[in-house]
This record gives sequence, structure tokens and C-alpha cells, in this order.
Amino acid sequence: MTVEKAVLKVYRYNPEKDEKPYYREYEVPVDQAQTLLDALFYIQENLDPSLSFRFFCRAAVCGSCAMKVNGISRLACKTPFKPLVERSKGKPITVEPLNFLAPIKDLVVDHDKPFESLKNLETWLEPKKPVPEKEYRVSPEEVKSYERPTNCILCFACYGSCEAVMDDPKYAGPYAFSRVYRYVLDSRNDEEHKKEMVKRAMEVGDIWGCVQCQKCIYVCPKGVRPAEDIQNVRGIAAEYGFKEYPGVKKLQHFVDWVYATGQINRLALPEEVYGVDPTPLINKFKERGAEVWEVPKPLPGLIEFRDLILEVMKEKKPHLDIDFHHVRKIDKKVEEVFNADVCTKITQHFEEKKEDFFTRFWKKVSQFLGAS
Amino acid sequence: MKKVGFYQGCCFQGPDAHMFDTLKKVFADLDVDIKLIEKTTCCGGNTIDEANKFLVYSINARNIALAEAEGLDLLVTCNTCYMVLAKTKHALDTDPQLREEINKLLAEEGLEYKGTSKLWHILPFLLEEVGLEKLKERVKRPLKGWKIATYYGCHIKYPKEVAVVDSEDPQGLEELIEALGGEPIKDYEGANTCCGYHAFYTNKEVALKKVVRAPEGAKKAGAEMLVTPCPLCFKAQDIYQDMAENKPNVPSVYLPELLAYALGYDAKESGLSYHIIPVEKISVKAGAI
Repeated sequence: MTVEKAVLKVYRYNPEKDEKPYYREYEVPVDQAQTLLDALFYIQENLDPSLSFRFFCRAAVCGSCAMKVNGISRLACKTPFKPLVERSKGKPITVEPLNFLAPIKDLVVDHDKPFESLKNLETWLEPKKPVPEKEYRVSPEEVKSYERPTNCILCFACYGSCEAVMDDPKYAGPYAFSRVYRYVLDSRNDEEHKKEMVKRAMEVGDIWGCVQCQKCIYVCPKGVRPAEDIQNVRGIAAEYGFKEYPGVKKLQHFVDWVYATGQINRLALPEEVYGVDPTPLINKFKERGAEVWEVPKPLPGLIEFRDLILEVMKEKKPHLDIDFHHVRKIDKKVEEVFNADVCTKITQHFEEKKEDFFTRFWKKVSQFLGAS
Repeated sequence: MKKVGFYQGCCFQGPDAHMFDTLKKVFADLDVDIKLIEKTTCCGGNTIDEANKFLVYSINARNIALAEAEGLDLLVTCNTCYMVLAKTKHALDTDPQLREEINKLLAEEGLEYKGTSKLWHILPFLLEEVGLEKLKERVKRPLKGWKIATYYGCHIKYPKEVAVVDSEDPQGLEELIEALGGEPIKDYEGANTCCGYHAFYTNKEVALKKVVRAPEGAKKAGAEMLVTPCPLCFKAQDIYQDMAENKPNVPSVYLPELLAYALGYDAKESGLSYHIIPVEKISVKAGAI
């Protein structure tokens, strides 16, 4: 009986000897390896002792063996070999070092840079004052709130897949912001230090460079969700009052316009975020014959929708409040464009109950304003 | 005639306001009645999540509940809207406590999220509910000789729990392009790179670097244009590509536009004549059926 063999096409590079990287192919019997890491051991022990890769725990705890497998960041120890062979459909399995990290040898990359980022972002606890006589008390709910980011093992699979790292030299990396989030949630941490971490996340780590592609969530072997942690840190930045960042202005746009009209207004974004007049772009579309709506058409049911938003915000306070001054400006604009009172237009489907809606609506607004 | 609820999101505003009417006609040609669920609102664009995740869940539970109230599935034509709606559906379907909390809020409007409506992204909807055979049959203007690089975008690939295509080897767009008579180009350099759309208003520099990667790769691979099932990738590759340095100037088309054009709608109705980076294929062949 012949044993099924798989071909591994492995990246090889020894900067001390090789002028440039090259690939070498190895045949590994499929029954000799439970995981990709086993397959690499097989190569090292039977075919080529010069192959270098990093490993330690063999159980997805230490984070040493992250590498790029068929283009995707993975832990070698957590990648079952047979399914990998099956998915490769007879093509060689490509094994390469993680992207964006300096090569040391073969599959081993230099982790100094991403570790340095953690230091630069000061992702740690500074004890909250006054320091209690005994221990700090932390509730089980609080621990649960940062359980996920705490699971990060710093394998840098996310870093090697990150679209922002690819095009933003300043960008610290997804794992770093998950760690920021984890320490911002910690009640033992000094408030000023939390603020400093968030500020550093923006200024040193360029958290606004994240493109929200969600690849970090996909590749994380521990179920950490960095793209979502990044959203949370951004929200907290807004709450801390860092209003000058374009990203915070964008968020304000979304919150206000969606509350006011049920929609964002893509034509108002350039002005509200960057102070750029959108007219030249609008004109380009008009020149091409497109009909351009300056504001989104008001949606039916808007008053109930506004009610819902206010109710939700009352129950779970948002990181960024609605700017009602802005909302009134939007209302005015909608009224001009559609030549109708915003509420009568919007509530046309509910004409007979108009008074009820108004009363209820203003009650909600005043309740909300009173509460905040 | 199959009937499906339609979620408009923010895609059919500004210069794209005409697109809904076109889609309605195109789907009717494919024996699908798309019923606009009028009260649905913006999904939050994966941005309101920053302010309040619970708000995003509430808004989108409402969006889905509105379709459920009419007994319809919900068709979504944007990758990001799909992802955000699907994340909400996933959260509510797996967390009874969250569902209860949100249903209490929705009750005031007489709505309830039940989890009975399926969310459809346009790509699997076309493949599974319409089918390639019917598409081939209804094509009036085959895209003969059009070399089209397929670009899936990120939010239908990741995260895994909401993906509608194989995250590492997406399929379907190529078959669709072939059904419309065109020549798909896959696996070009940058095909898997993010379009940068969502960074444009947070870090413009990054967005403008990202946006050229896929068009550049497509150009090198001999493509005349890109096609994407996401209106945001499309807007990035049309508007922002035009702003980028050393732009490769490869036009990008939104899948429904291409569909409309192949089904016989003209350059205006399909939207193809409104692009910032002109789709030259149509200017040459305009009007010729």
C-alpha cells in the first residue's frame, strides 16, 4: 500500500548565506503528521535538518508557531494536516513566514517590533489611587467584559494579515489595540493612564488607520476580535473628548444623520469631516447626467425610529451623544430640499396620529436631555 | 414570481438614487419581485458600533423585524450592510437575553425580532435563488470580450460566522460573469486586498494607498475593469481611486449595474455612464444591442 504524500512548498532564507529567499519542496507522508507543525518536524528530522521554525508549547498557548499557510496566518500547531492537504486539492501547500515582520531565518521572524509597540502604547495597569489596603476588588462581570481580549497570546497572526499594517507604517497592529481595550476596561487602572493609552493608541499607534476589513477576527486562533475592540477604543476616544480626529467627526456624522433622517448622507461627509466642499464631486456626477439627491429622502416611520434610538441610548449610554444642534440643522436642510416640515413630511403615513407623535417625541427628547 | 423583501441601506441616495428602480426592473426580468421594506434605516455602516454596539443591534433587529412582519426574507445589496445585519442576527439568534431586551424596545412600535427571515446577500441570492441557467437565458446583451477582474470585498468573507462565500477561496462571481457572457479574471495580485473604503474618513492617506492595490493588480492581469458585489468597494474604486496618486485608472463596476446592462438596460439606466472613472466599454458600444 502506498502512503499518501503531500508536498510542502517552504520558504527558505538565511540572510547570512542567501542572497535572496527561495522555496524548497518537501514530500511529507500524510499519516506522519497530525498537524502542520508535525509535518515541519518530519521535514526537520527526516529530510532537511537545516529548516528553522519557532515552536514551544504545541498546544496553541504560547503563540510561537504562527506562520503563513497558503496565504493565511495560522498557528502551525493548531492546523490539522489532513484537512489542509485535502483543501489544497493536490497543489503544494505553501508555508511562509508571517508578513510584515523582519526575517531572521526561514519561518522565524523578528517579534521585537510588535512587542515594542506594546511598550509604546503603555498597555499595562497603573494602579488607581488611592491604592486599597488589601487587594483591589474586581467583579466577575468586569472580568467577563475583557475575557476575550485577555485571551490574546501575542502570536501576531493578526499583524501578519493586517491591511492597515500593509499600508500604514505608523499602525501598531490589531493585537495592540485589543490590549489597549482590555486595560481601558480594567477598573484597577488609573483614569489618567487610561486616557493616556487611548491618546497613544491614536497618536503613536494610529488606531484610525484600521480599515475594518475583519481579517484579524478571521485569523485569530484564540477568538479575539481585534477589529471590534478597535471600534470600542475609538468610541472611548470620542467619549474622552478627542473631537479633532476625522474619525470622531465621522462617527458624529453617523450618529446625528442616522438619528435625524434614518440615513447617513454621503454627500455631507466631506464637509463635516474634512471641511471639503463636495460641490465639485457632485458636479462631476451631474455632468455625467446623474440626478443627485442632496439629502436622503426622509423615511416613513422616522419618528418611531427616533424614539427607539433615544430609548436605547437611555438604557445603554453611548460613547458619543447625539448633537441635537446638528440634528436641527439637518432637519432644516431636509425641510428646504423637500419643501415640507420635516415632521409632517416624515410622518405622512401617520397623519391621523400626528399630535400623539409630537407629544411623545418631545417628551422623549426632554427626558433624554434631562438624563444626560 | 418569487418575492423577497429589499433592504436599501445608504446605497440608493446621492447620485445612486436611480439604482433601486433599475434593480426592481432587473429582478422582475429574473422573475423576482423585490419589495422595498420602506421603513428600514441605515445599518450604522459598521461605524455606529463605535458609539454603541447595543444601538446597532437594536437598529438592525428592527430592520430585520420589519421584513419579518411582512413575512419576507431580506435581500441586501451591500457587503457591509450584510455583515452588520448578519452580525446582529447572529447575536440575537445565539443570545436569548439580548433578544428579549431588544424585543422589549421594539414592542413599542409593534415589532418583534423572531429570527424567521433569512438574510440574503445579492451574490448567493443570484446564484441560488435565480440560478445561472435563468441568467444566461435572460441575457440580451452578452458582455462578449469584456475582461473583468472579480473583486469580492471583505465583509462577505469575514468574520467567519457571517461569511457568505468561502473566506479563503471565494467562488461565484466568475460563474456569474461567464453567465453574462464576459471573461472573468481571478487570482490577480491584490484581489484579496481591502478597498480602503472604511478608512477614507478616518485616515485618508491609508485609504488612498489601499484603493489602488486591486485595480493595479487587475490591470497587470489584463483586466479592463473590476466587478464587485459591494457598492462601497465600488465607490472607493471609482471615486477614491480617481483621487489617488499614480492611479491605475481601471474602472470598477457594481455587480447590479453589469447585470442590468447585460439584461438590456442602457448605459444610463444601468448606471454605467455615471462613473467618475469612465467604463469605456460602454461608450464604444452604447446603444448597440
